[in-house]
Amino acid sequence: MKLNQLAWRNIWRRKRRTLITAFSIGFGVMLSVTFTGSGDYTYTQMIDMGASMGMGHVTVEPLDYQLKPTLDKRLSETDTLRQQIFALDGVVDATVRITGQAMFASARKSIGGAFIAVDPAFEKPDNNLLLRSLVEGEMFAEKDGRGIVIGSKLAEKLHVKIGKKVVYTTTDAHGEIVSNIARITGLFLTGIDMVDGNMALLPIASVQKTLGYAADEASVIAVIISDQRHAEAMRDSIAALPQAKNAAVLTWKKAQPDLAGVIAFDKAGNYISQFLVGLLIAVGILNTMLMSVLERNREFGVMMAVGMSPGTLFRLVMVESFWLAVVGLILGIIITAPWYYYLYYTGIDLSGTFGSDFSYGGVLVDPVFKARLFRESIIAILAGVFLLALLAGLYPAWRAGRVPPIESLKTI
Amino acid sequence: MKEEIQDKMKNPIVSIVRLRDVVKTYRQGKVDVHAVNQVSFDIQSRDFAVLCGPSGSGKTSILNLIGGLDVPSSGSIWIDDVDLSTLSNTELSHVRKNRIGFVFQAYNLIPVMTAYENAEFVLNLQGVPEAECRERVMATLAAVGLAGLEHRRPDEMSGGQQQRVAIARAIVTSPAIVLADEPTANVDSHTAESLLDLMQQLNRDQGITFLFSTHDQHVIDRARRIIRLHDGKIESDEISH
Repeated sequence: MKLNQLAWRNIWRRKRRTLITAFSIGFGVMLSVTFTGSGDYTYTQMIDMGASMGMGHVTVEPLDYQLKPTLDKRLSETDTLRQQIFALDGVVDATVRITGQAMFASARKSIGGAFIAVDPAFEKPDNNLLLRSLVEGEMFAEKDGRGIVIGSKLAEKLHVKIGKKVVYTTTDAHGEIVSNIARITGLFLTGIDMVDGNMALLPIASVQKTLGYAADEASVIAVIISDQRHAEAMRDSIAALPQAKNAAVLTWKKAQPDLAGVIAFDKAGNYISQFLVGLLIAVGILNTMLMSVLERNREFGVMMAVGMSPGTLFRLVMVESFWLAVVGLILGIIITAPWYYYLYYTGIDLSGTFGSDFSYGGVLVDPVFKARLFRESIIAILAGVFLLALLAGLYPAWRAGRVPPIESLKTI
Repeated sequence: MKEEIQDKMKNPIVSIVRLRDVVKTYRQGKVDVHAVNQVSFDIQSRDFAVLCGPSGSGKTSILNLIGGLDVPSSGSIWIDDVDLSTLSNTELSHVRKNRIGFVFQAYNLIPVMTAYENAEFVLNLQGVPEAECRERVMATLAAVGLAGLEHRRPDEMSGGQQQRVAIARAIVTSPAIVLADEPTANVDSHTAESLLDLMQQLNRDQGITFLFSTHDQHVIDRARRIIRLHDGKIESDEISH
């Protein structure tokens, strides 16, 4: 009989104990899938949301723009660079934009805020939060027109409606104060007060004229990619483009450090929770394996008496731990699959608790609790369970091989 | 007489086990107890010997020392000219696996294994190929009278049948010596007689060397050599006729 087969039979000597331990492993798998899956889903959603707020997953901007974002710094030949970026594998969208601070004034009030100047022809609602949050009116149609789309709360503060005029004042490429007039074509409501009360979309060509930029000059190329996990690789690919040699290429983590910080903090909390769950599982396995070893002391003595080496005995107990992990994992998959299916497709609606416009880290978070596991997370959970099982089996296995056979044989 | 001489020429008698001045002292509270005290003897190949004496005379201690399960406080034990005191735990298990067979009073079969698997266990540890394993195990189980019971687990067999499996496990590897600790103590007298018949037959037909510890007169009566122990010392060592 091979060691594997013997170990397999050994774990079923006490069926109830094995099943209880396996269920605790399975429950741990379920918790781990829930924590990790919700993290994978929520963080991706937050990152994608952050990317669609103006800067993309990867941002191409003038050197030192992040340190001092003034409008005298600008990228040139942006159309060429945009086309080159767009040709890269994994790029979903690349849009040329000008971002800056501005003072918005109506006949009744002035409010400080920020603008994103865009080409309406290239903007898609999927990749632009403000555009997909239009609640009234429409997006301006021409890039050199006089349209403006502003946040609903900014409109309230300015006491303006669709069709009304707004004057925006900013500093141009030479540091001079410049103004232009625009007519409101649409209002957006994202649910994020900072955005709805301060931001506006403007036509890029009009802004270029106002700022004294050439037609292919801008402050940002926002790159949206198919999978946010590849942002670093995409940054490196873009930075390698000859046209980008005088530009800073940043991932969302650098471009939106607040969001990156919030996610990192939340991830750390998630890891601690999972560590504690793992610890509980490990203690369960340790308990089972130790009991199983202690009650078989005499049998181990016999095995050693007939020639089994301490090393082989150690391996036998480790293989038992492995099988216990396999059974636990199978049970875990059986009990987790329907739960994961539910979280994947339906989720738990928490809007009653958090409201439908719950924002975290400066971005909107879906109030429906959902889970999506990345492939690497699945591998990590599988590896984690086996690692825990093997670690928990180490002491019992070591102990089994360490007791002298004469002592073991004395055990009744 | 002539046949005996021819047999001895074909199978020369050699010392398989040698004990010299072996002492085993246990500490009981504040008192040292000499379980084995200055014991020296040899066991030759094809011996059918018993260590007998009252409880506490040192029978089992000597078997455990010869089997490398325990370490002497002083003195030396050789198996096939290998001094056990020079061996590591792993090397000792190697000696037990290849040169010694054990039969215990309480059978000590592995409960999750069938009769076949229990007998096969040591061959697997030795890494014997599967086909050869099968051949040897089936032959051994047949030799101990268990043909047809290969697939039974210990809890499906009588005490006598379990002890036969234990004997099969001990002899299947063709060890230099089988150490049997009170092998008939847990079975009825009829079963004890049949087990003794079996071991005697294996000794006679296959030349397997047996060393028993016992205080069962039936076993002592069958032995060709009787080593009597008292308080850890050899009281007498005689050849039975």
